[in-house]
Amino acid sequence: MKSLVINYGVGNLYSISSSLSRTGFEVEISSIPKSGYDLIVFPGVGSFPAVSRYILRYRDILDDLYRSGIAFLGICIGMHILFEYSFEGGLNRGLGWFKGYVDKLRTSNKLPHIGWDKVFIANNSGTCSLGSLLDNEYVYFIHSYIVYPAEEDIVCLMSEYGAKFPAMIARGRVIGVQFHPEKSGKMGLKFLESIYRWLKR
Amino acid sequence: MAKRIIACLDVKNGRVVKGVKFVGLRDKGDPVELAARYEEEGADEIVFLDITATVEGRKLLLNVVRDTASVLTIPLTVGGGIRDLDDILTVLSNGADKVSINTAAVKDRNIILRAAEEVGSQSIVVAIDAKRIGSEYYVFTHSGTVNTGLKALEWAKTVEALGAGEILLTSIDRDGTRMGYDIELTRLIAENVSIPVIASGGAGSYEHFYEVLTKGKADAALAAGVFHDGVIRIGDLKRYLLSMGIEVRL
Repeated sequence: MKSLVINYGVGNLYSISSSLSRTGFEVEISSIPKSGYDLIVFPGVGSFPAVSRYILRYRDILDDLYRSGIAFLGICIGMHILFEYSFEGGLNRGLGWFKGYVDKLRTSNKLPHIGWDKVFIANNSGTCSLGSLLDNEYVYFIHSYIVYPAEEDIVCLMSEYGAKFPAMIARGRVIGVQFHPEKSGKMGLKFLESIYRWLKR
Repeated sequence: MAKRIIACLDVKNGRVVKGVKFVGLRDKGDPVELAARYEEEGADEIVFLDITATVEGRKLLLNVVRDTASVLTIPLTVGGGIRDLDDILTVLSNGADKVSINTAAVKDRNIILRAAEEVGSQSIVVAIDAKRIGSEYYVFTHSGTVNTGLKALEWAKTVEALGAGEILLTSIDRDGTRMGYDIELTRLIAENVSIPVIASGGAGSYEHFYEVLTKGKADAALAAGVFHDGVIRIGDLKRYLLSMGIEVRL
């Protein structure tokens, strides 16, 4: 099973690469998206303006890969980029594969939201079922912004930090998670393993 | 939200060391081994502080960061000797999830702003080493040797405004003493900023952790010596905190 981790030029790609390797994936890191992989990962590093600037340069290639049915996993900011636009650092466009936008979590709690919170099943059908093993488990979050999807049925897992927010979304071959599976201890690895098994089927 | 228990590794020449009030360092073991052990015991995060911060120390630290990142599945923060944005990017690309900056932020506060714009606030931790003088807490840099004249609370508010995602607050007076965290200092900062505050310095017993997470209003509690010496096991500590009604991840 081959995975490609996209390098936007900022941040830590080491942890996600190690976690994918431990799960059984062959891992390649590249700044340019390309075909020939079972899974393309948008890692959860950087700010939206920086990542958007980078990703949109390869928009046509990415749209083609998306239509070809390659699986995608977007983590944190890498999930945000799947939506139409974001208000982080001004108004910036995303890939728009999912309808909706990204904005600050509306909570009276401290932001960034940093640390371990439980997630709960919102939808357990189709691709969403990959997240069901995390129901009522702690995963690691580090973010201030969340996705506000226009379509409710793409939301697989929810979490709560002063306000409820989507922790995992999915449709077809595209998965996005607000938490960091590569930072979420054993449960994070189990989640990546469930993706590995799904791709193998 | 679960309160976090963070294990800190002060690294010098590739080894973990620990002193008292920032001096009298003793060898405590191999950083990669210790980090892996603390994750196994239930630590929520690991912090590495390069306390030599020489060029040689830097290379060693980057190796250690990479080795550790490849065995850890919990977040890793790295600090010590970070001078500019390039250093921040280098440390992050070598496996750190967050970078802690201290002296460099005091020297040029714009580094916080620029770093937050590039990598996001969530990856930028500002470390504040505070010492009580009279009735005020002052910020010290250069491993606790230079008084900046800045008041801790004012500085904390400034770094928040500049885009820091978290504050790692160490009481120099309590560091390594096992007399308990400085509750007054922690509460002063935690109540007056809206970013998470990690309390550090002085942990000696279960009760100290309980106190700083309740009375001190800390979002996370960090310790080093008590974990290295086996005085406190992280798993036991978390079970104690849970029994006291504090939400922790077990």
